[in-house]
Amino acid sequence: MASRSSVARANNTNTQGKICQFKLVLLGESAVGKSSLVLRFVKGQFHEYQESTIGAAFLTQTVCLQDITVKFEIWDTAGQERYHSLAPMYYRGAQAAIVVYDITNQDTFTRAKTWVKELQRQASPNIVIALAGNKADLSNKRMVEHDVIAILQEAAAYSEENGLLFMETSAKTAMNVNDIFLAIAEKLPKNEAGVSGNRPTAGVGLAATENRESSGKSCCGS
Amino acid sequence: MANKEVQKNGKFAGSSTLGKLSKIDPHGFERSDNFDYVSYEIFESEYLGVLAHRAKRWNQIIKDGDKKTIHSNGKVKRFCRKGIPDCYRAKTWMNLSGATKRMENSLDVYEKLLETGCSNDVELIEAIKTDLNRTFPENIYFNGKMTDDKRQSLYNILLAYGRRSPAIGYCQGINFVAALILLVVKDEEKSFWLLSTLLDHILPQYYTKSMLSLRVEMEVLKELVSSKYPLCQEVMERAQAPWMIVASKWIICLFIDVFPIETVLRIWDCMFVEGSKILLRATLCVIKQNETKLLLCKDMPEIVKLFESIKTDTTVLECHHFMQKCF
Repeated sequence: MASRSSVARANNTNTQGKICQFKLVLLGESAVGKSSLVLRFVKGQFHEYQESTIGAAFLTQTVCLQDITVKFEIWDTAGQERYHSLAPMYYRGAQAAIVVYDITNQDTFTRAKTWVKELQRQASPNIVIALAGNKADLSNKRMVEHDVIAILQEAAAYSEENGLLFMETSAKTAMNVNDIFLAIAEKLPKNEAGVSGNRPTAGVGLAATENRESSGKSCCGS
Repeated sequence: MANKEVQKNGKFAGSSTLGKLSKIDPHGFERSDNFDYVSYEIFESEYLGVLAHRAKRWNQIIKDGDKKTIHSNGKVKRFCRKGIPDCYRAKTWMNLSGATKRMENSLDVYEKLLETGCSNDVELIEAIKTDLNRTFPENIYFNGKMTDDKRQSLYNILLAYGRRSPAIGYCQGINFVAALILLVVKDEEKSFWLLSTLLDHILPQYYTKSMLSLRVEMEVLKELVSSKYPLCQEVMERAQAPWMIVASKWIICLFIDVFPIETVLRIWDCMFVEGSKILLRATLCVIKQNETKLLLCKDMPEIVKLFESIKTDTTVLECHHFMQKCF
């Protein structure tokens, strides 16, 4: 079960000096649980029937690492193939992406791999990509258990090959939800100039203030 | 419709809830925990007067007409802009959009569509089923809380439509549009014809694979904002925020879940008579209303947050005033 302690549900809990803002995008087939992962992470809630996302939804959430506060600006996109061509608008300039699939559905994993490829080809070169095998709560309830295991092994190997973070998650039980965001926060470069951005400045942290750069918010320290 | 019945029913939805606002609105939507009852009651106390007056006026044109068909003319168009009473809404939408005629000219077509599969049926059915429980889960007619649950009807309508218009098939967003049509029109077959008329004739190419018309609308919107509210466009460009990010859902969902339901229905009253241009009129109106706040936005997240807040904005809730400002 994910530890909640390091996820601040309010944005005013910053006690550290540095705030980093990162743009994170969720991609994946329709109904794999993208919105549910975000809802669990941001509000600690879960709805059995989550309304289908049209266009995209935007949310923010802050996590505290040891010496730094990371504010995620999260773009939760629509999953249907028809909306695919709108996706670049959301992943452009993103420093992180979570590509989500449903562990009980092989097709959604295939789709996830094409998203990873697209990101590798077209997103910011240093983008941190995490692969989330969601609906992990269903893993032992399925008759097709061996399929689930096969997908898991393939996903793990694929992530290893492609340098992705990988976790099986459950928005329903909260399993690994905070953890995957925290793992991304850990992996994101905190003081490298311009991860994707165009406003590299000297390594000065923003002390408890919002980063107001209009674009290219790679990080406060960048 | 007998005049007596007209008089009895000559009210808008919502008129029975004054002073005791229920947790469920007249259309079956469960009000959220943070629903602003105070603002709503203030709005409703004024709006009920408007509704009563409009109902009286509509009773008159229905009485003067042939009682079966509502014909489009200047007066009717004006009346639609001022809002169609709930009891006449389904009939007016059906008649004025041409859906009634299409249905009358296509006997058995709906039934046959439901009986006969098509080449991409498997994919179509799967896509529709995926969204069936994810359409208005907060509405009692779509979440299993009522005996007359509408999910089967919704499924049938979406399937029949997808089979009939393979170039569109099923596009996420249509589920919400079809569901709201069902809530208003109630009859399944009529709802199908109204949906078909809307998607094929009033909004052609909005939901196709390329979403061509949506892209065109967003470009037109950009041009209109540039010429009418150039400072707003500057803010958007500085923030590298295309209008698509803000307004694609507005157009795709025809303002469902973007505006309060009363305002959505009022926009649709115009849409079925006057066509798609009301969508940009309403969009421009919202932008104008938020101009001052928009000019203070420094980046894309702030802009997105601003426009997300319009669902609870009282200037949008006050639909009668809002619609007046649209024209």
